[in-house]
Amino acid sequence: MTLELHVWGPAFGLPSIDAECLATVTYFAQTLSAADYLLVQSSPSAVPSHHLPALYNPSTATWTSGFDPIVSYLSTLQPPSYHHPDVTTLPARVNADSQAYQALLTSSAAPLLALSLYVSSANYAETTRPAYSAILPFPLPWTEPLAVRASMAARAAHLGMSSLDTDAEMERLEKEEREREAAGWVQVPKALRKALGQNTGVKGQLSPEMKRRIKLEGLAAEVFDVLGEIDFLEEEEEETTEGEEGEGRQRIKVTLETKCLAFAYLALMLFPDVPRPWLKEVLQRKYAGLCEFVVEYRKKTFLETGRPLPWADKETDPAVSAADSALSVMGRFVRAVVDDIPTLGREWTRWWSLRQRRVAEETSTESQQLVVRRSVGESENGLLLAGVGLTLMAVNVVGLGIYSYRYRGLLGAPLQTWHKPLVVSSLGAAGAMFAGLV
Amino acid sequence: MATAAPVASPPRKWIHIPRPLQKLFDTFPLLAYDGNALPARAQSATFGDLPTLYVFSTEEAALLGAPSFNPSCLKWQTFLKLAGVKFQILPSTNHASPTGALPFILPKRSSPTDAPSPIPSSKFHEYALKFGTSSPPEVPALRLDAYQTLLDVPIRNAWLQALYRDPEYTDLLDRLYISPASSSFWVRGALRHQLRRAAESEILKTGPGGTASTALTLLVDEQAVYRAAVNALEALATLLSESNTGWFFGAETPTLFDASVFAYTHLMIKYMSDGKSERQGEEGSIFAERRLGNIVRRAGSGELGGHHRRLFELLWPVDSSTVFLTDKA
Repeated sequence: MTLELHVWGPAFGLPSIDAECLATVTYFAQTLSAADYLLVQSSPSAVPSHHLPALYNPSTATWTSGFDPIVSYLSTLQPPSYHHPDVTTLPARVNADSQAYQALLTSSAAPLLALSLYVSSANYAETTRPAYSAILPFPLPWTEPLAVRASMAARAAHLGMSSLDTDAEMERLEKEEREREAAGWVQVPKALRKALGQNTGVKGQLSPEMKRRIKLEGLAAEVFDVLGEIDFLEEEEEETTEGEEGEGRQRIKVTLETKCLAFAYLALMLFPDVPRPWLKEVLQRKYAGLCEFVVEYRKKTFLETGRPLPWADKETDPAVSAADSALSVMGRFVRAVVDDIPTLGREWTRWWSLRQRRVAEETSTESQQLVVRRSVGESENGLLLAGVGLTLMAVNVVGLGIYSYRYRGLLGAPLQTWHKPLVVSSLGAAGAMFAGLV
Repeated sequence: MATAAPVASPPRKWIHIPRPLQKLFDTFPLLAYDGNALPARAQSATFGDLPTLYVFSTEEAALLGAPSFNPSCLKWQTFLKLAGVKFQILPSTNHASPTGALPFILPKRSSPTDAPSPIPSSKFHEYALKFGTSSPPEVPALRLDAYQTLLDVPIRNAWLQALYRDPEYTDLLDRLYISPASSSFWVRGALRHQLRRAAESEILKTGPGGTASTALTLLVDEQAVYRAAVNALEALATLLSESNTGWFFGAETPTLFDASVFAYTHLMIKYMSDGKSERQGEEGSIFAERRLGNIVRRAGSGELGGHHRRLFELLWPVDSSTVFLTDKA
C-alpha cells in the first residue's frame, strides 16, 4: 500500500510553496519511510476536495485533505513504517498547548505570510508568481495563482494592509480620477498636476512597505513574541535545564505536529528571496532563536538525512500522468475561467465541487466513513434552480422587449413616413403668381 | 400654417412652471410632515439611573437581565457583571449600533435632552475597570493569546456551523435571529439565506477547521470543523484542570478569559444539548454526534461543565427573577 500525498510543488529550496503542504511533507518525512508514500505535485483543481494537501489512500479510495485531518487519519491508519514518537508519553498539558499554538499559527501567522508573499505587489510579481509558474503546467499559471492570491488577500484583509497591493491601489486611484473628471468639477491640467501630485517629497519616494514599516513590524512582533515562548529545539535544552532547575522561566513544549506547522510558516517567511524583505528582516534581527530553529530543522529533516523525498515520476506513474494529461489540464483551465463569470460562475463551481465530493464519498470503501448530515444550502439542485430561474427571466425580458417594441408602439409605429404638404402660395409674391398654374 | 393664439394666459410670473409639472403638483400638493416623536419606550427605557447595555436578547429576558443569546454579547455581559458594573439591558439589533455591531453601552443621561455618546465593545474593558466595584485580575500568561485563538477560531467556527448551517437548528435560528426581525415570509427567507452565506464565508476565511485554506475551497468540511472544536474544548479542559482555583490560569476570581469561555459553553449547553448526554457518549463516535452541548460537558473529565455551572451560579443566582427585581428597586 502506497499512500499518495498530493501537494503544491517545490519552491524557494523547500519541498512545497504552500505552508500547509510544507508542514505535511515535513511531518511525513519524519514519521514515515519513503517506501510508504508518494509525493504528487498537484494543484487544488486536480483533487476532489479542491484543497491541498490531500492524501489519497488507494486501498480504500479515500481522500483526506488538510493538515490536521491528514495527521489524525494517519494515526488511525498506522502504515507499517509509521512511528509517532510521542503520543502516550507526553503529559496532557503538552497536547493542550499544542492545540492552542496550532490554532494561533493558522489564524495569525498565515495572514502575515499572506501579506509578505501575496498581498505585496512587488514580492508577488518578483518572487511568488514566477515560483507558481515554474510548478504549474502551461495554461494554469494564468488562473490558479490569481485564485490563490485572492484568497490570501481575503485572509489578510482584517489587518488593514491592502495598500501594499500597489496594483489595486493604482486601479483605485485611476478610478477616482475618472470619476472626478466625469463629475465635471474644476480640472487641473495634467502638466500642472504633476507638481501637486503625491510623487514628490520623501513620502512619495517611499515604497508602501516602507511607509507601513512600523505597523508591519508591530503585526509581526505580536505573532513572533508568542511563538518565541515555545521550546522548539528541545534536544539541546534538555541538558541545560537539568542543571538550571531553579530558572523561573519555563518554556512550553509542543508536539511534533505543531513543530512541523511552525517550521512551515517560518521557513516560508525566511527562505524566499523577496525584493521587500521586511518580514525576513524582523525575523532575523529580533528572533534569532526562531531562525536557528528553522535552519536546524530544515537541515535535520531534508538535507542531512540523505534520503530524497519520494516524488512521483511524471512519465512512469499512471496516477500522475493521468492528472497531468493535456485534456485534464485544459479541463481545469476551463473550469477556472467559468468560475470567473459573475454570480453564475460561483454557483457552478459550488455545484461542481459538491458533485465531486459526493462521488469521492461514494467511491470510498472506508468502513468507518461517517454518515455526514448535509448542511443547509448544500443541495446540488441549487445550480439547476438558479439556471432555470435565470433562463426564465432572460426569456421574459427579451419577450417583453420584442412585444412592446413591435406591437405596443411605445416607440411609435415601426415605419414612419412624412409628407411635406405642397403649398405654393406660401412662397410670397412669386408663389401667388404661379398659384394658378398648379 | 397659422399658430393658435394662446388662450387666456395666466398672470405673468418670472418663472414658468411647465404645464404637466404644474398639474402634477396641483394633484399632489407638497406637504412636509412634522418629525416623528421618539417612541415612548425610548424615554422610559433609557432614562434611568443606570447605563444601558444593548445586546441581542428578547424583551422578557432583557427585563430579567438574563444571558444574551449571542456569544460576543454574552461575553461582555458576563464580564461587566463580574466587574460589578450596574447596568440594565435592552434588546437591540446590529442596525441600532453606531459601530454596526452589538454590544454597546449608552451611559446614563443626566437630563432628557442630553445625548451621551455610546461606548463600543472595544472600550468595555476600561469602562468596567473605571465604573466597576471589583476589578477582575489580569492574567500575565503569554499563553493566553494562544488559548484565546482556540475560542476565536475553532470553537467559534463550530458554533457558526451548528447554528447557521445545521438543518437541525433551523428552528432555533429562526427563533433567535429571524423572527424578531421581520414577519414577512419572503424577508425571512432572504435574511436566512444571507446569514447562512455570511456564516459560511466566515468559516471558510479561517479555513476548514482552523487550517489554512488555499484556493477555490467553497465547501465547508463539517467533520473537520467539529473535530477541531472537540480538540479545542479538550485543550481548554486540560488547561482548566491544572488550575487549582477553578478558574483559568489559576486566577483567584474569574477573568475576562473565563467570561469568553463561558459565553460559548453556556450557549452550547443551553441550546445544543439533550438530557441523555452521559449515556450516549460511550456508543457512538464523538464526531458522529453534533450536539455541541454534550461535547462541552464531556470534554476532559467534565471540567468545562463544572466551570460553566460555577460561573452561572455566581452571576445568575438560582431564583434569578426575584433577585433581579429586588436589585432594581
